[in-house]
Amino acid sequence: MSPPLPIVLVGCGAVSQLFYAPALRALEAAGIVRVAALVDPAEPARRVLHAAFPHGQSAAALPEVTALRDSLAIVASPPRWHAEHTLAALARGWHVLCEKPMAASPAEGERMIAAAVAADRVLAIGHYKRFFPSSQSLKFLCGPEGTLGPLQTFTIAEGGPFNWPAASPTFFRRAETPGGVLLDIGVHVLDLLLWWLGAPTDFSYADDAMGGLEANARIALRFGAVTGRVQLSRDWATAQRYEFNFAGGRVGWTVNDANGLTVCFAGAPHALQGTLRRRDGTAAATNPQSFIDQIRHIAGAVRDRTSVLVDGREGLRALQLIEACYARRQLLPQPWLSPLETTAAQFRALPS
Amino acid sequence: MNIAVIGANGFIGTRLVEMLHLGGSHHVVPVVRRASGLALAARFAVDWRIGDALDVASLTAALAGCDAVVHTALGDTRQIEAMPDMLCAAAAAAGVRRVIYVSSASVHGQAPDPGTDEDSPLHCRHAMDYNNAKVRAERAFFRGCRHHGLAGFALRPGVVFGPRSRWIADLAADLRNERAWLLGDGDGICNTLYVDNLVEAVIQGLTAPAEAAGPYLVGDAERITWADFYRGAADAFGLGHVVIHRLEAVPAFRRSAQEQISRVVAGRAVQTLLPVLPTRLKTVAKRLTVSLAAPVVAMDAWQLPERPRPRITQELALLQQCRWQLPSERAALHLGYRPVINFATALHRSAAWLAFAEGTS
Repeated sequence: MSPPLPIVLVGCGAVSQLFYAPALRALEAAGIVRVAALVDPAEPARRVLHAAFPHGQSAAALPEVTALRDSLAIVASPPRWHAEHTLAALARGWHVLCEKPMAASPAEGERMIAAAVAADRVLAIGHYKRFFPSSQSLKFLCGPEGTLGPLQTFTIAEGGPFNWPAASPTFFRRAETPGGVLLDIGVHVLDLLLWWLGAPTDFSYADDAMGGLEANARIALRFGAVTGRVQLSRDWATAQRYEFNFAGGRVGWTVNDANGLTVCFAGAPHALQGTLRRRDGTAAATNPQSFIDQIRHIAGAVRDRTSVLVDGREGLRALQLIEACYARRQLLPQPWLSPLETTAAQFRALPS
Repeated sequence: MNIAVIGANGFIGTRLVEMLHLGGSHHVVPVVRRASGLALAARFAVDWRIGDALDVASLTAALAGCDAVVHTALGDTRQIEAMPDMLCAAAAAAGVRRVIYVSSASVHGQAPDPGTDEDSPLHCRHAMDYNNAKVRAERAFFRGCRHHGLAGFALRPGVVFGPRSRWIADLAADLRNERAWLLGDGDGICNTLYVDNLVEAVIQGLTAPAEAAGPYLVGDAERITWADFYRGAADAFGLGHVVIHRLEAVPAFRRSAQEQISRVVAGRAVQTLLPVLPTRLKTVAKRLTVSLAAPVVAMDAWQLPERPRPRITQELALLQQCRWQLPSERAALHLGYRPVINFATALHRSAAWLAFAEGTS
């Protein structure tokens, strides 16, 4: 058995505490990885993770880290730092798993990809929802062998009141975060759509940013003959559902339900709601298990020199689509505003 | 003027920030307790701040450089009572001389006696803890204003509705689920106030003479019954033909075991003790409370599915018994308050927001 892969966890905020810490604990117990270093300029955040991984080096900045070449750096810092931290990690000879969104702009993403190629290192992007059994089933159904026939339309509604336990307001500072709900939640949605359906042939985009960052966004997309609508919100509870209408039936998926789907065959009197199983009848992965699977998959790719499911080029596609959305941005109509407020909102929504 | 809005992420605070900012006559400074509350305020390029309405130092820092402050923060009854002292102390420390506190018409109870106005004496013998907390809070507010020499205006709105309000979202859900109800013919007085009209009262309060400081009832121009509100809303939501239950009487309300436990927990003695109790003990106690509140009911397999029942809350049962339209005359006289949106437009805009929120617009 190979020795555990050393992990350098860059950024000790909420995503590291809530997701990476328990996943890495499970993978350490399985002998697959070993946390070598925890990096964050904020000592209190670092202390929380150091309590979970006392054997890991606690460092305020990347240059202090003593981990050796061939380690895996997990970049989970705020998005504006992703490029800088990834480039620094690659320069140290580390492989990188970078949280979503992979960078603050496609140009940064391109630099990260070029650096990974030049250094011959793995660059994976943390679109872990691709590891859900339910999203893999939707990928199958949307593909040429999908047993429900061609996809015709879809609607997606995702998000709700913002309740991420962010330690700082960086999520809401334009200087530190280049986008609002589209970049935050939408990057997952668009990554899945690109994976399932390929690049859209046309789209339109509207949001409610009026000089700041959007809390609500709408995208209308066309993929050849397939049309769909996406609603994103960090304002009000949405339906949290993906509804896909195929020629042979309708498939529903609740956001973040890693192994559940609802299917209603065309013409059938009832819908079927169920939990996915593997073909051998054993339980399919849950949401946390899918997150663990992602890291295990990347650790395997590092060890065996195989490709990763979501590499830099794949991660970049969602970022490019987001940038294209912002470039086509319209102000979302907010029909409760007075006519004067609407005029002011339109003025404030203009690019500065 | 630089206007701080405490509780800027709530339904009233959100609309206040929108109207002040897009109206352009004032610089708005949204204040929220946690970074996660910034999602809506951050749509604008405004000077938002983090400030805890229950912490004087934090709030003082958040109010720096402001000329007036509007308090719209919510909380449990203990927090409601504690906030005015913090508000007045922080405003005074930050040099803010004008404070507008969004109180509630419920200081007079949900069904006030005919003739009730701002001069009617307040008491703390209401059936609902919320009402008593708002009475104590308002008293603390005016006491604090006197102590610190602040011009304090307390607005007492009734049923405030509009975009992002529970009166709209919950009513739509109840109508769709056939759980909405009216008492008798629904001729109880609703005392509605569209949120834009409340903001108009706030704006008037910002520039009213300091001598006008005091409590003000504020309402819509129209006399709206509960039947008007429900049927109008149903039409506006496109649910004109849904079932609205008719009740001839409302049930007597007795505090459930969970409510009684919650009251004890909210008491000062328990709140003082809580920080020193082991987390495990608190977790077990919480689970026990939840299990008491939701006892397992054995279902008989041989029965038809239940038909939807009306969702009757104590608050709504009391509100629907109201026979008095609370007057806005004093606000009109001393603040220059005039409702800027009529009821029909208010319902139309509320329904339009609902469609926006549900992604169907």
